[in-house]
Amino acid sequence: MTKIGLEIHCQLTKLESKLFCSCKANYREFEPNHNICPVCMGLPGSLPRLNQKAVKSATSIAMALSCDTPEKIAFFRKNYFYPDLPKNFQITQLNVYGDMSIGGEGYVDVEGKKIKIRRIQLEEDPGRLIYEGESERTKITLVDYNRAGTPLVEIVTDPDFENPRQVRVFLNILSDLLENLGVSEPGLEGAMRADGNVSIEGGNKVEIKNIGSFHDLEKALHFEITRQESLSERDIEIVQETRHWDDKRKITVSSRSKEEDQDYRYFLENDIPWVKIDQETITTLQKDMPESISSKKERFVEKFDIAPQVADILASDKYYSDLFENAHSNSDAKDIANLITTDLMGFVDTKEKREESKLTSQHLSDLVAAINDKTLTRTSSKTALQEIVKSGKSVKELLSEMDLGQVSDSSEIESIIMQVFEEEKQAVRDAKENPETVNYLVGKVMQKTKGKADPTKTLELIKSKIY
Amino acid sequence: MVDEEEIIRVAKLMKIDLEDHTEHVGRVKKMLEYFDILDQIDLSSEEIVSQEKALDELRKDEFIPNDKKLIESLKNFREHYVRAPKMN
Amino acid sequence: MNLKTSIIDYINDVKSGAFTVEEFTSATIQRIKDVDGDVHAYLSLNKSAIDDARIIDKKISAGEKVGICYGFPISIKDNICITGTKTTCASKILENFVAPYTATVVNKLQNEDAVITGKTNLDEFAMGLTTEFSAYGPTKNPWNLKYVPGGSSGGSAASVAADECLASLGSDTGGSVRNPASFCSVVGLKPTYGLISRYGLISYANSIEQIGPVTKTVKDCGFLLNIIAGQDSNDDTTIDNTNSDYLSDIEQGIDGKNIGVIKEMTSDGLSPEVSSATKDAIQDFEKLGANCEEVSLPTIPYTVAAYYTITSTEAGSNLARYDNIRYGYDLDSEGYEYNSYISKSRAKFGPEVTRRIILGGFVPSAGHAGKYFLKALKVKSKLISEVNNAFEKYDFLISPTAPVQPFQFGEKIDDPVTLMLLDYNTVTANLTGKPAISVPYRVTDGLPIGMQIIGNSQSEKSLLQAAYALESKTELPEVPL
Repeated sequence: MTKIGLEIHCQLTKLESKLFCSCKANYREFEPNHNICPVCMGLPGSLPRLNQKAVKSATSIAMALSCDTPEKIAFFRKNYFYPDLPKNFQITQLNVYGDMSIGGEGYVDVEGKKIKIRRIQLEEDPGRLIYEGESERTKITLVDYNRAGTPLVEIVTDPDFENPRQVRVFLNILSDLLENLGVSEPGLEGAMRADGNVSIEGGNKVEIKNIGSFHDLEKALHFEITRQESLSERDIEIVQETRHWDDKRKITVSSRSKEEDQDYRYFLENDIPWVKIDQETITTLQKDMPESISSKKERFVEKFDIAPQVADILASDKYYSDLFENAHSNSDAKDIANLITTDLMGFVDTKEKREESKLTSQHLSDLVAAINDKTLTRTSSKTALQEIVKSGKSVKELLSEMDLGQVSDSSEIESIIMQVFEEEKQAVRDAKENPETVNYLVGKVMQKTKGKADPTKTLELIKSKIY
Repeated sequence: MVDEEEIIRVAKLMKIDLEDHTEHVGRVKKMLEYFDILDQIDLSSEEIVSQEKALDELRKDEFIPNDKKLIESLKNFREHYVRAPKMN
Repeated sequence: MNLKTSIIDYINDVKSGAFTVEEFTSATIQRIKDVDGDVHAYLSLNKSAIDDARIIDKKISAGEKVGICYGFPISIKDNICITGTKTTCASKILENFVAPYTATVVNKLQNEDAVITGKTNLDEFAMGLTTEFSAYGPTKNPWNLKYVPGGSSGGSAASVAADECLASLGSDTGGSVRNPASFCSVVGLKPTYGLISRYGLISYANSIEQIGPVTKTVKDCGFLLNIIAGQDSNDDTTIDNTNSDYLSDIEQGIDGKNIGVIKEMTSDGLSPEVSSATKDAIQDFEKLGANCEEVSLPTIPYTVAAYYTITSTEAGSNLARYDNIRYGYDLDSEGYEYNSYISKSRAKFGPEVTRRIILGGFVPSAGHAGKYFLKALKVKSKLISEVNNAFEKYDFLISPTAPVQPFQFGEKIDDPVTLMLLDYNTVTANLTGKPAISVPYRVTDGLPIGMQIIGNSQSEKSLLQAAYALESKTELPEVPL
C-alpha cells in the first residue's frame, strides 16, 4: 500500500510586494540583485514588515481548501546557514503555541478521494543560487537575492495519495484553484514547486526534496517507489531519511549527512506581532472570494444548459471562463461556450499565445451573433477567429475584408449546385438511392464556396432538385 | 552537568571554530550551570504572550522600487551577483 | 565656551545670540580632541559636523525655519546605522560595514537640525556591562580613567559625562543605557518597549531592546524623547504614543505618589556605599511627598538566568547573518569552501560574543529547549504578571541602578557569573517592557551612584516627573576631567 504525501510551495505572484518589504513580489523581470532593499537583504538593523494582502490571500487559500483558520497567526524563525538566506534564518510559521499558522485540517477532492490538507503556512522564499565554473576546483557560487522574501504559501498534505497519477491530478486541480482565486500564476516558472514523501507497505517514510518541476516530481515519485519496492523484495530495510532528487542522473540520493546535524532552534519571530484574524475579516474575504471552479461548472450546466465536459473546460480555466462570462447573454451562452471550447482553443493554448492574442469577449459575442443570423457560416468562423486573435479586427471589418460573408442567395447557391451536379454525377445517383449520402454533395458545395454557403439552404435546394 | 562535547558540537553548528579557543568551553559551561536556577521556580501555569496587531494595521501591499545602487554598496559582487564560496 | 551646559540652556543661548552653533560645535570638537585620547568614547567622528553647524547658523540668520534642536551636538552609539558611516558595533567582523541607510531615530534628529558628533564605543554587539569587550579598546570612565564606564553603551555615557557632546543615543537590552548612565553620573532612560523605532538599530535581542537617550539632565531627556518617540511604519513593534509631550508638566512633582522599593534589588548584593545611598534616596522621595514601602517580587532572583537564556538565543539568531558574504570585512571568498569560509570569518567575533552565540545555539536546541529556553520564556511571563500586579498598588518601583559603584578594569571580567549579576537590578525592566530611568544620585569616593525608577507601560511622562523630582534633591560634583 503506497502512501505519498506532498509539500507544495506556491508563490503569491499576484501580490504587488514581497512578504516583509515593498520590493516586487514577482522578481522575474529584474536584473540580478536589482529587486532588493535593506529588509529583504537582511542588512544589519533592518526589520520585517508583514504584507497585509499576503495574509488575506493566504487566508483565502485556506478557506478554498476547506481549512480551519486560527484566531491569531504567528511567525517563527527557522535557523540554518545557507548562502541563499540573507539572514541565515527563514521566517516561517509553525504550530507550537497552539494552531497559529494560516490554515489547517482541510481537504481537496481528487476524483472522489479526499486528500487531507494537514497545514498551510506563510513563509518567505530564499534567494537563488547559480553555480559557475567547470571543475570542482574553480566552482564558485553566485547568489541572486531578487527572489529573497517573495511570499510563499506552503501546503502540506497527509500521505493520502496512492499513486503518482493521483498526485498529478491533484496538482492540476490545485493550480487551477489558485489561479482561479487570483492569488498566483502557477504557470510562471518556479511559481509552484513540490517536494514529496513516499512509503510503501506501512514502512518507513522517505522525504524527497530538491524537485524542480511537477514533471520531475512524477519521475521522482516513480523512481522512489521502485527503489523502495526493490529493496523490500530483497528484504532490505528502507531507512527513514531525506533524499534529494538528482536531476542529471534521474535518481534520488541520500542527503543524510547534510540533514542529520540540523537543529533549527525554532522560536517566535519577535519583530512581527501576532496578527488577529477576526470573524469580520473572514466574512469579508468569503464574500470577496471569486466563485469556485466547481460552483462555476455547476452554474454553467444548470443555468445555461451547457454540456458538462464543455462546462468543465470553461470553469477550470480562468482565461476561458472570464472570456465566457463577459461575452454571453442568456440566449447565446451555449453557442459562445462551444465556440470557445472547439474553435478558439487551438489558437490560445499557451501563455505566450494568450498574452499576444487580440481577441476580446466582444469579438466572441459578435461572431456568435453573425453565425446565428447567418451572415457567417460556422466553418468560416474558425478562419475569422484566427485572424481576430492575430489582428484584433472587428467582426464587421473582417466580414467585408475577407469575403467571409455567408452566401445565402438562392440563385447563387443554385448555380454552384448545378456545377457540383455536373462534376459529381455518380454521387447524385447515390444520393437518389440512399438519402443519407446527400451530405457529400452539400460538402462539395461548401468546398466550392469556401465554406460560405448557407448549409441549411444548400441542403434544402439540393434535396428539392433530387427528390 | 553539561557535557563539554556537546558544547563543542553546538559551536560547530553555529559556525564557530573553537580550535584555538577551548577556554570558551569552560566559561560557557559555567554560565549554563548558573542557568540551572531555572529548575527551582514553579512555572506550570505560565503562558506565552506577545504583542498583537489587527490585520488592517499591517503594511499595504505596494511595490516601492529601491535604490538600484544597493548591491554596489555591499561587497563581494561580480556583475550584480554576490559571490559566495563554493558549496560542497 | 562653557560646555557644561544642558540642551535646553544651549538652545536658549543660541536663540538669544550668546554664541553660534558653529562656535559651540567647534568647542565641542576641540574638547573631543583634548580628552578623547584618554576617554576613548568615540569610535569615529563626523567630519562634516562643522559644515552642518554652519548650515544651521545660516538658517538662523536668514530667519528661516530651524529644527527645534538648534544644532546641539549629539553622539550616536555605533550599533545604530547612519548612511555613509562605518557602523561597526565595536566588532572586527563589521570593520568595513558602511551603512547604506539611516536609522529612523537619527533621521528624526537630523530633521530637527541636531548635529551628530560621531559614533560611540560599546561592548561588541552590545553584549557586555563594562565596554571592556569592545574590539577597538575600552572606554574609560571620565570620573576616574582607571575605572570602567559601564556598558554596553559606555561610549555614549562617557561622551556625555566628559562634555564631548550634550546628549547621546544608546541602546538598552538588559541595562545597557542605565548601567553606564549610573556609572558615569548622567541620566539614562530605557523607554517602554515599542516607544522608539528600532529600525536601524543593529539587533542583539530584538524582543526586549530599545534605543534610549543619555543626557545630563532629566528635562533634556524629556526634550530628546519628544523627538525620537513615536510609531514608525518601518518597525511593526512600535506602539502609538498618542503624541505625548514628555517635557511639559515635568516639574509637577510626586506628592502623594506610591513608590514600591523592590526588596530583592535592595538587600544583600549591594555594596555598603550603594546601600547607604539607596536609604537616603528613599528618604528624599518621602520628603518629596511620596509614600515609600517595600515590595517583594519573588521572580526577580530568576531573571538574570532567564535574561541571558533569552538574549543568547536571540543573539545566536540575530548574529547568524554575519557570514561575511554580503558585507563585513575584507576576505575574498575565492578558493574557500562554504563552511570553512564562514567559520574563518566568524572567528573575528570577540570572546564574549563567541560565548553568547554558543549559548544561543545550546539553550533553544531541540534537546535542551525545555530545560532552558522555554522555562526562560515562562519566567518572563510570570515576571510580567508580578510587575503588573505591583503597578496596581504603586505608581513607581525603585532600586539602585547597579548593585556596586564603578570598578577597575579587569576586576570583574574573568568570572562570567559575577559579570552577569551586575545586571540584576536592570533586566526586569527589559523583560517586562516597562520604562526605567537611571538618575545620577551621588558620587562617593569619586565614583558615581545612580538610582533607578521603573514606571508602568507608557508612563514616561510621570516617570520623568519622578526623576526630575529626585534630581532636584541632588547636588553633584563636576566631573574632574
